[in-house]
Amino acid sequence: MHILRMLSALFKVNMELALAYRVDTAVNILLELLTLGWELISLGIIFSNTTTLGGWSLGELIALLGVFHLVNALMNVLIWPNTEKFNASVRDGTLDYTLLQPADSMFLVTFSRMVIWRVWDLILGAVLITIGVNMSGLGATPLNLLGFLLLATSGSLILYSLWIVMIAATFWFTKFDNNVTILQALLDTGRYPSTVYPFWLRLIITYFVPIAVATTVPLQALRGELGPLQILLFLGISAASFLAASRVWKAGVKKYAGASS
Amino acid sequence: MLRIYWRFWQVNWAEQWQYRANLLMYLFYWLVSPIVYLSVWVSIANVQGSVSGLTANDFITYYLTLLVVDQLTSEITIHIFAYKIQDGTLSGDLLRPVHPILTNALVNNIAFKALNLIVFIPIWIALFLLFRPDYSSVTLITILIAVPGILIGFCLNFLLGAMITCMAFWTTRVYSVSQFFYLLIVLLSGQFVPLQLLPPVVQQIAQYLPFQMFRFVPVEIIRNRLSTAEILFDYAISLVWLVIFYLLFRWVWREGVKRFSAVGA
Repeated sequence: MHILRMLSALFKVNMELALAYRVDTAVNILLELLTLGWELISLGIIFSNTTTLGGWSLGELIALLGVFHLVNALMNVLIWPNTEKFNASVRDGTLDYTLLQPADSMFLVTFSRMVIWRVWDLILGAVLITIGVNMSGLGATPLNLLGFLLLATSGSLILYSLWIVMIAATFWFTKFDNNVTILQALLDTGRYPSTVYPFWLRLIITYFVPIAVATTVPLQALRGELGPLQILLFLGISAASFLAASRVWKAGVKKYAGASS
Repeated sequence: MLRIYWRFWQVNWAEQWQYRANLLMYLFYWLVSPIVYLSVWVSIANVQGSVSGLTANDFITYYLTLLVVDQLTSEITIHIFAYKIQDGTLSGDLLRPVHPILTNALVNNIAFKALNLIVFIPIWIALFLLFRPDYSSVTLITILIAVPGILIGFCLNFLLGAMITCMAFWTTRVYSVSQFFYLLIVLLSGQFVPLQLLPPVVQQIAQYLPFQMFRFVPVEIIRNRLSTAEILFDYAISLVWLVIFYLLFRWVWREGVKRFSAVGA
């Protein structure tokens, strides 16, 4: 209950922030629409030259684009804006005030900035997934759908845990401004099924910066390619990585000595 | 004048050298999308044997060459200059008897590029070993013929970037303008896909636009894929655009600075 109250307070503050820059928001939404147009055109160009990509049909690629937008929503609503705020607060020392507040510091660092209008990525993602699944004629059973939803959530949780570890690294290496660049750079690989990539790149985006786990893997569940054991394994990994990340965060906060010292 | 450029070079090189640690990250960021497109098209070509006559090796050589050309023709003016217009530090630059964009910003671009190349070469060699392209169609002559194209491509890209940056005189949302052009350029410069795979109508249009000189034309010249007539045609079109861009830039700059002083007064 307490957490929900805090969330709604932070939501209100950020909503007011967004409303103060109305024209910016409108321009940004327009740009997003253009980007969406670009994404669909690029898929159109690819599929005017082929009928399958890495064994996947156009409909499945559109559904994958939808999942990519879900992950993108997490990144754009929370991860990137809070990274910026966090890095700045380590540099100028205002992180002290965050740590002094009587609430979980990991929670505050995650939710203090929210770019609200980006929530539309969630809606767009859902629409694209629905259209894509219908187009591909995947007779998705309720069980596959459940697996898909669970894996999409757990994949995002894994990426979130990775992010926590990345920004917590700043506590040990203070001059680490590029802490999330690798994640940012590799994110775009999520637009296409990981099976199209060469072995070494697939290795990176599956095990080291597991973007494929949040994009390709849920869709594989939807296609009915994953057994219940595999799904359980992924859920276990995501829970473990979240626990590990919060441990790293706590250790980092303990190590942190403020900007002045 | 040459001595002025030399001074600017020394200052900007030293300045860029400070940020060398960020370079690796920047390069990494910039590498990913061509590699993604390469993988997508290679995977299609491997299944079908070829895509509209392009084999897997064609795509590999295309994108690996594109990485080099893109590195040479890219520009970062908006990142080193837009803030000066927004926070007013441009006033100091305007007092100098040289054009701030055509001297300082230009040299800064080149210093950034030179430093990038040092880090980029070993990365490119690594990619070469990973993808093992067959470069037998490339000769020293084809590379030499592409050099003017790369130069023109950089000048066009730089002037376009400078004009977009100058939009900061009118609007605070200059990065949105730049984003819009970015989408257009990815498609029409051949970054997403070799232009011959675009729908015929778009190909026809792209032929008369300046963007193909940023990447597609130099890459295809190096790969020995264009006839002499095509090369001459593309060079002629791009020179016309160069004149247009230069004149347009002069005009945008003049009007912008007028507005700038009006705000400052």
